[in-house]
Amino acid sequence: MEGRDDQPTADVESGARLRPSAVRSRGAVTWPSVDGPLGVSWEEAETSARRFFFWGFAFLPLLWAVNCFYFWPVLVSKASPSSSPHFNRIRSYVVWSSIGFVIFAVLLTAWALTFAIGGEHLFGPMWKDLVMYNLADKLQLTGLM
Amino acid sequence: MDDGSTDSDPVTAGESSILDTLGEDVIRIVSPVSLCMLLVVLLVSSLSSTNDLSSSVSSLFLSSTTTPTSFSSLNLLLLGSDSTWEEIKSALVTALSFVVVVTLLTFLLVLLFYFRCTNFLRIYMGISSLFVLSFLGGFIFLLLISHFKIPIDPFTFAILLFNLSVVGVFAVFMPKFPISMNQGYLVAIGVLTAYWFTMLPEWTTWALLIAMSLYDLAAVLLPIGPLRLLVELAMSRNEEIPALVYEARPVDPQPGDRVRVWRERTDVRIEATENSTNSANVQTVQETRLAVSEEITAPLIEAFPQTGDRHLGTEEVEDGIGLGSSGAIKLGLGDFIFYSVLVGRAAMYDYMTVYACYLAIMAGLGVTLLLLAVYRKALPALPVSIMLGVVFYLLTRVLLEVFVVQCSSNLLMF
Repeated sequence: MEGRDDQPTADVESGARLRPSAVRSRGAVTWPSVDGPLGVSWEEAETSARRFFFWGFAFLPLLWAVNCFYFWPVLVSKASPSSSPHFNRIRSYVVWSSIGFVIFAVLLTAWALTFAIGGEHLFGPMWKDLVMYNLADKLQLTGLM
Repeated sequence: MDDGSTDSDPVTAGESSILDTLGEDVIRIVSPVSLCMLLVVLLVSSLSSTNDLSSSVSSLFLSSTTTPTSFSSLNLLLLGSDSTWEEIKSALVTALSFVVVVTLLTFLLVLLFYFRCTNFLRIYMGISSLFVLSFLGGFIFLLLISHFKIPIDPFTFAILLFNLSVVGVFAVFMPKFPISMNQGYLVAIGVLTAYWFTMLPEWTTWALLIAMSLYDLAAVLLPIGPLRLLVELAMSRNEEIPALVYEARPVDPQPGDRVRVWRERTDVRIEATENSTNSANVQTVQETRLAVSEEITAPLIEAFPQTGDRHLGTEEVEDGIGLGSSGAIKLGLGDFIFYSVLVGRAAMYDYMTVYACYLAIMAGLGVTLLLLAVYRKALPALPVSIMLGVVFYLLTRVLLEVFVVQCSSNLLMF
């Protein structure tokens, strides 16, 4: 029973003694990732954030979304004097990832909606050849499996 | 602050008893299994009929007798007594060859693991997951698009498929990934593989399910079983076996050493492959399918219990169900797949059988979890559930349906 009153382990903020598994305490973020204590440490978080950011440029905008999701606590909280030194770097990667993902999502949605709603009025007879279900039939794609 | 009160009530203060977390633990393993089954049932019912999505979802909730059993009557029409026997024979041969191939491949896996080729295994499993997610996923996506006439263009389709499958491979392999995405993608792989299995002919599916549950029982419990050897090897070396395993989130996360334990586990997380579909295809399908099915993974590996002692940090991944070193329950993806195949095949008959089989499988899972708590070693998760499921399917189809139809048509019940 006495362990409860001892000093918590070094990497836990003093305010987190109340609820050790809480991600945020007293303004500062305890755990960088959305998984909390089950996730990565601050150093690994920076490596991960950087890796997600750069791999996202390989036509993988979903990785940018994953970056934002994974480091959501970093994204929504502000830097405070008691937060880890990695905080700012991680935050910059995550913010840029979110900008990239939003731009990509807007572009893709716009194109997809144009294609779907515009239909033949906009594209002419070419639409019938381009739409996926006709294309799949023509190329016999569903026969492969 | 309140030392007196914390000291006076030992259960609530420092230690938590098993009862505090048991319900949560069970829910965290039952939910993904149920979700996987639900998705497979939805896929099966929407893609095998001419209904659109809304009517297939609504008919899921209405009494199943309102949808006349078109499948069953069709079955009766197609099957004469002679062709039934032929079908049964070919089904048995297919199932047997499937089990033989799986056994051989599992022994190969044990051998490779023995010679410490874990990198090769990891890469192989990564490639197979990529195949499952991209080819199988793309195929099912195309089926959905064609069925519901969704006006999507090839460029958007390609981008979506590419993104989803590559991120999926990262999600199940990389240790530093959001847990929810990892779990979600494992369920997705289970759904895709299970749907693919339901495309086999009926007798073959049932024979396969029974054969695989018997194989599971033998492989995990017999001393010469390949999966038991795998577990013992991994235990002696304190390593993790490469496998696709669904791990439920531990209920009570603690900072500090639990983080270490989790990371240890996820760093070595890898996959085992059972190329089960090969033999199934030998009988029924052309060469093209064989080539792709080589890569299909039906990993029947699950974790191994080392509860209580967090310092062991061992994650034996084994066939069957087990407990992770943080006490979280692990269930192999092969179990997800075969449960969903059973329910999907039941959905092809009628929704009544779906409900009956779902309850049977959950009961079997509960029994398996109970046995896990008692025996505390890796257990096969397939046999109990599949046997109960098959029995309930037969009973429902033969007995319950007649009863329910009579009652409903006479406005007595339901």
